[in-house]
Amino acid sequence: MIFRLISGGDPFLELFVAIKHIRTRKRQTALAVGAVGLAVAIIIIMRSLMNGSFETFFQIIFELAPHVLVTPKDGEEQIYLYKTLMEFIWTIPGVVAVSPALSTTAALSFEGKVENVEMEGAIPEQLNVVTSIGDKYMIEGDLRGISSGRRVVLGEEMARRLDVKIGDDVVASFPDATTMNLVVAGVFRTGVEEWDRSAFVSLDTGQKFLGEGDVITYINVKTADPYRADEIAAEISALGYEAESWRTLFPEFEETLAFEKFSNNLILALLLLIASFGIANVMNMVVLEKTRAIGMMMAMGASSSTIRRIFLIESGFLGIAGGAFGTVVGYAISFYLHSQEYVITAPNAPQPILIQFIVDPVDLIAFPLLALALSMAAGVYPAHKASHLDPVVALRG
Amino acid sequence: MSKIIDIKKLRKVYGDGVELVALDDVDLTIEEGEVLSIVGPSGSGKSTLLNMIGLLDTPTSGEIWLKGQNITKATPAERARLRNKELGFIFQFHHLLPEFNAVENVMMPLLIAGVERKEARQRAIDLLEEVGLGDRLNNRPNQLSGGQNQRVAVARALAGHPSIVIGDEPTGNLDTKSSDMIYELLRKLNREMNQTFILVTHDMAMAEKTDRILRLVDGRIVCEMRREGDEFVSHDLCHLD
Repeated sequence: MIFRLISGGDPFLELFVAIKHIRTRKRQTALAVGAVGLAVAIIIIMRSLMNGSFETFFQIIFELAPHVLVTPKDGEEQIYLYKTLMEFIWTIPGVVAVSPALSTTAALSFEGKVENVEMEGAIPEQLNVVTSIGDKYMIEGDLRGISSGRRVVLGEEMARRLDVKIGDDVVASFPDATTMNLVVAGVFRTGVEEWDRSAFVSLDTGQKFLGEGDVITYINVKTADPYRADEIAAEISALGYEAESWRTLFPEFEETLAFEKFSNNLILALLLLIASFGIANVMNMVVLEKTRAIGMMMAMGASSSTIRRIFLIESGFLGIAGGAFGTVVGYAISFYLHSQEYVITAPNAPQPILIQFIVDPVDLIAFPLLALALSMAAGVYPAHKASHLDPVVALRG
Repeated sequence: MSKIIDIKKLRKVYGDGVELVALDDVDLTIEEGEVLSIVGPSGSGKSTLLNMIGLLDTPTSGEIWLKGQNITKATPAERARLRNKELGFIFQFHHLLPEFNAVENVMMPLLIAGVERKEARQRAIDLLEEVGLGDRLNNRPNQLSGGQNQRVAVARALAGHPSIVIGDEPTGNLDTKSSDMIYELLRKLNREMNQTFILVTHDMAMAEKTDRILRLVDGRIVCEMRREGDEFVSHDLCHLD
């Protein structure tokens, strides 16, 4: 159908001539197809790497950061009826964890060293689902250790500053707070410096330390689909609490990624454009070489639209062949690289980062088609030139 | 015999600044089935006249009538159609398409005309057998001799049953033996199919075998000789060298 639209009639003659040209110019054909194929393959691999690294990036972000952060109502410093609120949040579909936390500031001292610390009172099981600290970031001890009361888990940096080990007894104090002894139950490292200077105690311990009763300061919510966090935040906001999704909490993530995506895509589009110039070049050469033959075709009564179609089909063929070749190669290489599960380490990263190659199926259709479109466009000028040759001049060569 | 080509006061001027008159008020009538040769020195306008008759070029002024139809102002598409239906071309260089074998080259005008593939192939094979190349059907131009290629070109010119075959030095690139063979072939086809042949040539021996000789000098027909029996009769004052 598309073909008939392009050719406007029985395409046999045009196809016949175009295919002959392609088949008798194997080297140039291979070069042109190779150039487009290489561009398409690189685009598919680079985009799969880009998708994969965004995926990895989001996995890390979504693992550590809350998807929705719920803070007290306007004008209030704490959330008082937090149990009711938590029950409500649990009823929202898609919520997988609700972690209440009491944020306090404490001065921790050990053998003459004193450090101010952000000390969070939390329920370790829920905290673990929200942040994965218990599963992935503990370097010593166990996060669940805090649930038995009067125990603390420290970030690596804080443990280093205080020079404490598991089992050491630190003293937590603060003006207006209840001074208490806490046993170090574990040490974690997230790679986020602010976190690695903090400390976790059980919610109960935190409340006792603060002495303001059964209150909390915020709730972290984890969702099954982070991209639905906005809707869930909106439902909670309707109750009068401040609820913000990761999108509004960290808008810079998406801004940075959008910019990255745009600049990557721009470079890749230019790559394809350059490859299509290769086709324009090959087609120009074909037209030059075929000048006499074009003149003879015209003498035999070929119309200028027939001549134009021959060269458009030819450049279209080079584009689609290059596109198909590049897609197969690009997909195969992405697939292979993905299966190798490469990991890299970054300074300060608590765990190796997995390099993923995730091919978007849309790319496998879109880029060969884009290659076809650009190649046809590249062929327009040479084809036009061929169709407008003066047969008398063309026959002279 | 009826008029197939009627040329009236045909004039072709090249160039913008310095004008070069290639054809200067040429009047010419060609009868159906005639074998006509046009002779003259280089630059006398022979090829220009042939390109006009072949609808490859347009005149500056004057008229060209083909089969009673004024085609002077035909559109490019109409001219392409007429070239395909009414005209066959044989050039000094065979101008065969190098990627295609003999059969495919001969099929080409038929495919352009929209003739069904199978029919076109059969017609091409018949013609190639006619010109003595029945055993060379699948050879490409680079696998054939000059004379053989020119015979393929003759078969191609005749493929679409044109009413006029135009030859611009059709044997100019061939040895005497091949030249004679090509001319005999054309003559035989002329007798069998009553096609009109218009040949531009330097070869006086060949010209003298045709029905009528026109001599062109500086874009004018200066001499016309017509065969009557075995003799040529001059209609004007002629200075044939």
